Amino acid sequence: MKKRFLVLLSLMLIFSLVAVGCGSNETETPVAEEPSETPSETPVDSEPSTDPVKDTLIVGQGADAKSLDPHATNDQPSSRVSKQIYETLVNQNEAMELEPGLAESWTQIDELTYEFKLKEGVLFHNGEELKASDVKFTILRALESSHIGHIVGPIDGEKVEVIDDYTIRISTKDPFAPLIAHFAHTAMGILNEKAVTEAGEDYGQNPVGTGPFKFVSWINGDKIDLERFEEYHGEPAKVKFVTIRNLSDNTTRTIELESGGVDIAYDIQPSDVARVEENSELTLLRDMNLSTTYVGFNTQKAPYDNVLVRQAINYVLDMETIVDVVYEGVGAPSNGPLGPNVWASNQDLEQYGFNIEKAKELMKEAGYENGFKTTIWTNDNQQRMDIAEIAQNQLKEIGIEAEVKVVEWGAYLDGTANGEHDMFILGWVTVTGDPDYGLYALFHSSQHGAAGNRTFYSNDRVDQLLDEARVSADPAVREAAYKEAQKIIRDEAPWIFTWSGENLAGTRANVKGFSQHPAGHHKLSGVYFE
Amino acid sequence: MHKYILRRLLLLIPVMLGVSFIVFTMMYFTPGDPARIMLGESAPEADVQRLRDDLGLNDPFFIQYGRYVKNAVVNQDMGRSYITKRPVFDEIAARFPNTLKLASMGVLIAVVIGVPIGIISATRQYSLFDNISMVVALIGVSMPNFWQGLLLIILFSINLAWLPSSGFDTWKHMILPAVTLGTSSAAIITRMTRSSMLEVVRQDYIRTARAKGQKESVVINQHALKNALIPVITVIGLQFGYLLGGAVLTESIFGISGVGRLMVDSIKSRDMLVVQGGVLFIAVTFSIVNLGVDILYSFVDPRIKSQYK
Repeated sequence: MKKRFLVLLSLMLIFSLVAVGCGSNETETPVAEEPSETPSETPVDSEPSTDPVKDTLIVGQGADAKSLDPHATNDQPSSRVSKQIYETLVNQNEAMELEPGLAESWTQIDELTYEFKLKEGVLFHNGEELKASDVKFTILRALESSHIGHIVGPIDGEKVEVIDDYTIRISTKDPFAPLIAHFAHTAMGILNEKAVTEAGEDYGQNPVGTGPFKFVSWINGDKIDLERFEEYHGEPAKVKFVTIRNLSDNTTRTIELESGGVDIAYDIQPSDVARVEENSELTLLRDMNLSTTYVGFNTQKAPYDNVLVRQAINYVLDMETIVDVVYEGVGAPSNGPLGPNVWASNQDLEQYGFNIEKAKELMKEAGYENGFKTTIWTNDNQQRMDIAEIAQNQLKEIGIEAEVKVVEWGAYLDGTANGEHDMFILGWVTVTGDPDYGLYALFHSSQHGAAGNRTFYSNDRVDQLLDEARVSADPAVREAAYKEAQKIIRDEAPWIFTWSGENLAGTRANVKGFSQHPAGHHKLSGVYFE
Repeated sequence: MHKYILRRLLLLIPVMLGVSFIVFTMMYFTPGDPARIMLGESAPEADVQRLRDDLGLNDPFFIQYGRYVKNAVVNQDMGRSYITKRPVFDEIAARFPNTLKLASMGVLIAVVIGVPIGIISATRQYSLFDNISMVVALIGVSMPNFWQGLLLIILFSINLAWLPSSGFDTWKHMILPAVTLGTSSAAIITRMTRSSMLEVVRQDYIRTARAKGQKESVVINQHALKNALIPVITVIGLQFGYLLGGAVLTESIFGISGVGRLMVDSIKSRDMLVVQGGVLFIAVTFSIVNLGVDILYSFVDPRIKSQYK
């Protein structure tokens, strides 16, 4: 009897040990693939401040990259890594100015064609030299991509012409003024034809670029390791290694920053702002970004087809309160469709402001003195749900009884594309910094539904202005057109203009040389430790 | 016995077919277009359609399902993730070791804490020890993992700076998550051990053993415990199987890249083939753990062994 029992106990023990044992063996494999010189950072063992040769920068972000093939995805976590590995023909600096990147210079030959001169002697991480043929290959491949096709969409694939090894001509099908800004998009990082062809389907895990860091290894779902590229053509990166960790839990990310497990944490939550600010070992960076959050109306459905109702609702929602309560003072109430960092954004527009009397008047004029019933759609994003709830309460002031409907993201995108909604809450990032990106898809009548215009807004004058600004080569003409379009949109109020976003990143105090890009993909090559 | 095990393993085939069909159906009919979710709200419709074509999402349901089964059975290929383009098998294989380690450590902690406390509580029913441990167990069951995890991080990582707060590289990284998981399982195991023991110690043969003048420790450890173990083993097995399916919250808090997080992320992004592969994988591990539990029964109770033919 006793023996049996011992057998049982030892079986249980062996089982657990085997389970633990084989587990650790398997995970050691990916770790062993790392180059031996990569110092494995265990935050508790090595205090960052006392480590004299700290040469690994550890960054925490809220999700793992999906793919490091810029044509296979268009998400922020991937862009943030790709930005370190790849370079684009044109750079957009932190002030949103366009400057030479892999292209030394460019000239517009006619209204459809640009000629780019490439920098000579630029090497890819696999030792190949950058040639105009790589640029052509990249553009043609991008045109085939369903993820980023829309960014290169205006380019005519038939008319991408290699003049010599360092000169390339690129034409668009129709005149397209924002083209140069599109070449600065991270999705337009230049690829090496040989590397892409060799890696085949696995290219997304074996990226090769010309950037200051080269790819080393990727522990799926956990972290990506990069190493300084010693043959880099520009100013070399200051740290030798970069590790980008996936820390999806917002609180954990902040805690890791506090405990020294990461040197930089992206996307600090509004609720953690005070904690980071008050900690003398940490620095909080705050910069307005390119995002906007809005409450949209379905302008083809009564009563939202009536501009007076839309204006009345804009007056009755107190945006200052929403920004204070929901975003805890992060970001700012928006006054129009574009945030302040977007070129030609009309910052002279007047905010609707909180004015119940005016709202009641407008409702009366519109014939809805006694209000009506409606629904506000949102996905399960906490801040959007909070906005919906506040709006629900404030709408009662003018007799509108709103039901908040929380819809799962996939169903939400489908439903709002099909126009099943009354009011809905969404965001937009004008990632190129050009108003075309932030207005055309959202307000042009050709873009109704899934293409971006989920308010189904139509205005002939706005269409005309957006078309005109899209093709004009004269920045002054474009600026004037965009400003007028924004004014009309503000007055016609297909949106409740809600919130302009802010990038929040926390760094350890010894991290220097880090600054945020408004588009959210921050360069790490200039970062160093003090 | 061997025949029995073989039969049970063969039963996995219909289980897998059934599970795959149910999951495929559910994912197919869940609202939300995978291509649209992947490309986001800013992508033009033409790109979405192109991606749907690339992924074969425009084909009818049975063609899609048939293709999946055919690839899985004939080519042993579970497809590639829509999103990362990695083979589904690699996605799961990369994360399973972490989950296995976490679940094993968690269950080990739970057993080491839960079984002894349960036995002592049962033998001293209504004593101070019993009452305290039952209250503690109740707290353990009721306390949400994410909250307990955060408390542990605040105490051991921030205030005391003894242990790292996230990651999963060394044994130090495993302590906090394993304790977080283990304590809630321990509470369940404690309560189960106690009630099962209480039932057994009221049996006639225990009274007989005591009447014989047998030492109390022998009565408890040899006569009572073995018979009380069956439901306890069941619970341990269920807990282990459940943890192997991934402990989503614990994995998120401690930044562990495990199966649970993979599944949640994949469901959110409608990465159908990964969800499909993941659920199949979990179903199989769960079945295997159950089989292991059934085999363990036969060691505890020879009567059961004779039924395994």
